[in-house]
Amino acid sequence: MGAVASGENLVRFESVALTLCGNSHREPVHVLVNVGLEVSNGEFVSLIGPSGCGKSTLLSLVAGYLAPTSGRVLFDDEPIRGPDRERMMVFQQPTLFPWLTAGQNIAYGLKVRANRCACPDVKAKVNNLLELVQLAGFSDHYPAELSGGMQQRLQIARALAVEPRLLLMDEPLGALDALTRRTMQREVLRIWAETRKTILFVTHDIDEAVVLSDRVYAMAPRPGTVREVVEIALPRPRHRDDPEISRISRHLARLLE
Amino acid sequence: MRAPTYVYRVMSPLMLLLVWELASRVGVANALILPPPSKALTDLIKLAIEGELSKALLASLYRIVCGFALAITVGITLGALMARIRLLDLLLDPLVELLRPISPLAIFPLAILWFGIGDASKVFVIGLAGSFPVILNTYAGVRSIEANFFHASQSLGATRCESFTSIVLPGSLPHIFTGVRLAWGISLIVVIAAEMVGATVGIGYMVLEAQQTFRTERVFAGLIVIGLLGFMTDLGFRWLRRVLLPWYRKTES
Repeated sequence: MGAVASGENLVRFESVALTLCGNSHREPVHVLVNVGLEVSNGEFVSLIGPSGCGKSTLLSLVAGYLAPTSGRVLFDDEPIRGPDRERMMVFQQPTLFPWLTAGQNIAYGLKVRANRCACPDVKAKVNNLLELVQLAGFSDHYPAELSGGMQQRLQIARALAVEPRLLLMDEPLGALDALTRRTMQREVLRIWAETRKTILFVTHDIDEAVVLSDRVYAMAPRPGTVREVVEIALPRPRHRDDPEISRISRHLARLLE
Repeated sequence: MRAPTYVYRVMSPLMLLLVWELASRVGVANALILPPPSKALTDLIKLAIEGELSKALLASLYRIVCGFALAITVGITLGALMARIRLLDLLLDPLVELLRPISPLAIFPLAILWFGIGDASKVFVIGLAGSFPVILNTYAGVRSIEANFFHASQSLGATRCESFTSIVLPGSLPHIFTGVRLAWGISLIVVIAAEMVGATVGIGYMVLEAQQTFRTERVFAGLIVIGLLGFMTDLGFRWLRRVLLPWYRKTES
């Protein structure tokens, strides 16, 4: 682990570009061009933008599933070299292992060799996490027996089990119905406040980003770049009818048009 | 008021037996070529008491189990390797597709040349015929696993080896299970046919010999044994799937 004191930035993009070579004769695709981005410890930062602006790709870079073509992606001032349990991804489509129960899914990360010694009492930890995401009593249920919202809460619990410093959330609420989505937004905020994790959150819902985030990166597509950074220093909980909130939302909506 | 479903399920076989029994008793059907089921059943009991049935059944089961074991070992290994290693896929796929449509019985004469008239030739043909559904289903099963499962397990700290045992294996098990069940069905079919072509013991041999000596009731007795064997083992497979894959039915619904 690097020294926490060295920088207040947990994640830093230094003029990052990502170009994917097309198959054989197709033109190479410039997915991201000259992206700069900073996320400080404990912050809630959102990326918004139309599809094709590379916001999910950007998360994959931080998760370590992809490497940039040029520029540097730093975590704790060190270049990212691959997936690591310090940076956990929460996917839009739940990637819970369907053959494991809720409890076993959370325990998965604690039982792989790399983390085995780190947690002496797996069972107690699993129960604590189930309680944190309000799924106590569902330990023996398979993911398919849970609702969409419950599955996403379980996915968050599984990610938190390995004690990451950063949660990467790739449209985690995108597949939920409107009502569940509102509830889950409050849930995500509550979990963020209780665990003091840093969250990098991708969404295409402007209101969602504004209600949740300390800072919003508005991105533009083809090639993916950061168009504007909007700081939101308003107290939470926030309401979307609040005049200041809706002013920021309208501003972002105009940007993304 | 409605009867439970099993009442309906046993009704059609029972009706068939009843009509058949009456037809051959009354003389509508020639009892020499269509003896009443009661006669077949009596003969079956006689075979069981004299010990001939268990001798034939054990001989057939031995071949089935050996051939089936060969089929799933080869099938799962090849299918998994082909799904994960592109070069192997390119090399083996045409071979599989060329051999697959050839009837196992067409291979049997060759198998006798290579392995003789004993058990080995039958085990070989069963193993060959049964391995195709296992190869194809294992391949499909391994390929059906989403990349995000691997991403998630990597992020959680799993090594390559751990990903394989904790993701690839359970994730492809439902498909593999389907392939294995098909292979079992094929084993049952192929063993009977092979025993009719060249064998001195076994259910298939028993049926053929009964036909040649004009003991038609014994032909039917043999068919009953084959039918029951298939039916009961499939019940076993269904039970096994509930035990091995408790999560799978829930995923489907």
